[in-house]
Formats: sequence, C-alpha cells, structure tokens
Amino acid sequence: MRRYESVWVIHGDLPDEEVKSAIDKFSRIIAAHGGMLVGLEEWGRRKLAYKIQGTFRGYYVLADFAGVPATVKELERNYRIDDRIIRYHTVVKSLKVTPEALQAEIAAKAEVASKAPAPAPAPAPEPAAAPPEEAAAPTPEEAGPQAAPPEEAASLAKED
Amino acid sequence: MPVMPRRKRKQFYVRRKVCRFCVDAGLPIDYKDVNTLKQFITERGKIIPRRISGNCARHQRRVTRAIKQARLLALMPYTPIQPVP
Repeated sequence: MRRYESVWVIHGDLPDEEVKSAIDKFSRIIAAHGGMLVGLEEWGRRKLAYKIQGTFRGYYVLADFAGVPATVKELERNYRIDDRIIRYHTVVKSLKVTPEALQAEIAAKAEVASKAPAPAPAPAPEPAAAPPEEAAAPTPEEAGPQAAPPEEAASLAKED
Repeated sequence: MPVMPRRKRKQFYVRRKVCRFCVDAGLPIDYKDVNTLKQFITERGKIIPRRISGNCARHQRRVTRAIKQARLLALMPYTPIQPVP
C-alpha cells in the first residue's frame, strides 16, 4: 500500500451540514476502495488567496490515508464530479506501508485522543517490511493529473 | 603623466548567503507550511530567485514546487488580490 495525503478545499459558503456530509462522503469513498483513513485534519474556513467560483472562502480538510493507486483514481474522479469540492491536491508520502503498521498507528492515535493530557507514546512503525502483494505485482503508475509525478515519488522513496 | 590618486573602489558588502534549509537540516519544505514559503515570494507573489534568496539548487527546486502546489490550493497567491472596483 501507499501512503497518501490529500487536501480538499470545500466551497466555503456552504452550510456546516453540507461540509460535514461532503467530508463523510469522501471518507467513505476511501474506505470503500481499498483505502484506510489514518487521520482527518480539519483546518476549517480560511480565506483563499484568490477568488474561486465566486467566493473567497474555503473549508480546508487534510486527509491522511493509505491505499492503492485505484483508491486515488476513484477519489479524484469523485472530486471532479462533486461541485462542493473546489480544489484538491493529492501527494504520495510513502510508497511502502503495511496494513499492520497502519493499524498500530491508528490505535496509537486513538489512545492519545482518549487520554489527551498524557504524553504521546511516540509511535514510529513507518518503514516496515515490504508488503508482499505490492512487491510481487507492480501496480500501474499513478492515478490522476494531481497525483505526485513519478520523480517525486522516487525521491521520496530514496529519502526513506 | 600625473599619477591619479587611486580612487577608492566602491565597497560592496556581499554577505555570503547560505541556504537556510542546508543550515537547519530539520527545516521541512512543505506546501502546507505557508508561513515559511511566504518568505520566498515577493509582494507581487513572484518566486524569489536563488540569486537573491541564497537557497541551494536542490532546496530551491523544492521550495518552487511547494509554492506552486500551495498556489493551486489557493493557500498562496499567484498575483496580488485585485481591488474590487
């Protein structure tokens, strides 16, 4: 699996329920297409640097997830269909990540959230052993035009 | 031939510029970190050249990419905001 990060800019003039339902919808799409949502960070309403679709306000959401190229393809197809999303950007963070490591990270996050004031037990299960399916079958490269270009992915892999 | 008093050459104070990202290895370049990236654009929103900013080639490339990514998300401007007439 690969680790991705996706920023959604939702139209800022929409009521809160609409924003919530959009966030829900895309979270479900990730889960339904072989993805695993690790974290969802809402930056809230921010002023845009320029006008998009007649507004200067956007609701920013940062989704940290893992998945396969098909997950991103489906996700980006839906971004383009949904009018509530005015901008999106997906970046590959890591090319190799195992479901087990992700589970551990999600569990650690939940634990931190449950006892907020306690010091965070530093979870560092990032670079684990190569996942067998990914290594065995090289998946077709990249998804949408917004996905990070191969050179960036390569440089990321090197840095890891 | 009269010897001209040697004119003092104009003094240039060229402070050696160093790449900030090389000096502080922990400093990340990230398209989401608008406050850091802001230091590398002019008031008109143009990306400051390496010549001026002092970044090394490698880090300048990363800064440039991050700025362009941030622009796409409307986190940073392409141009200053036009006053509404």
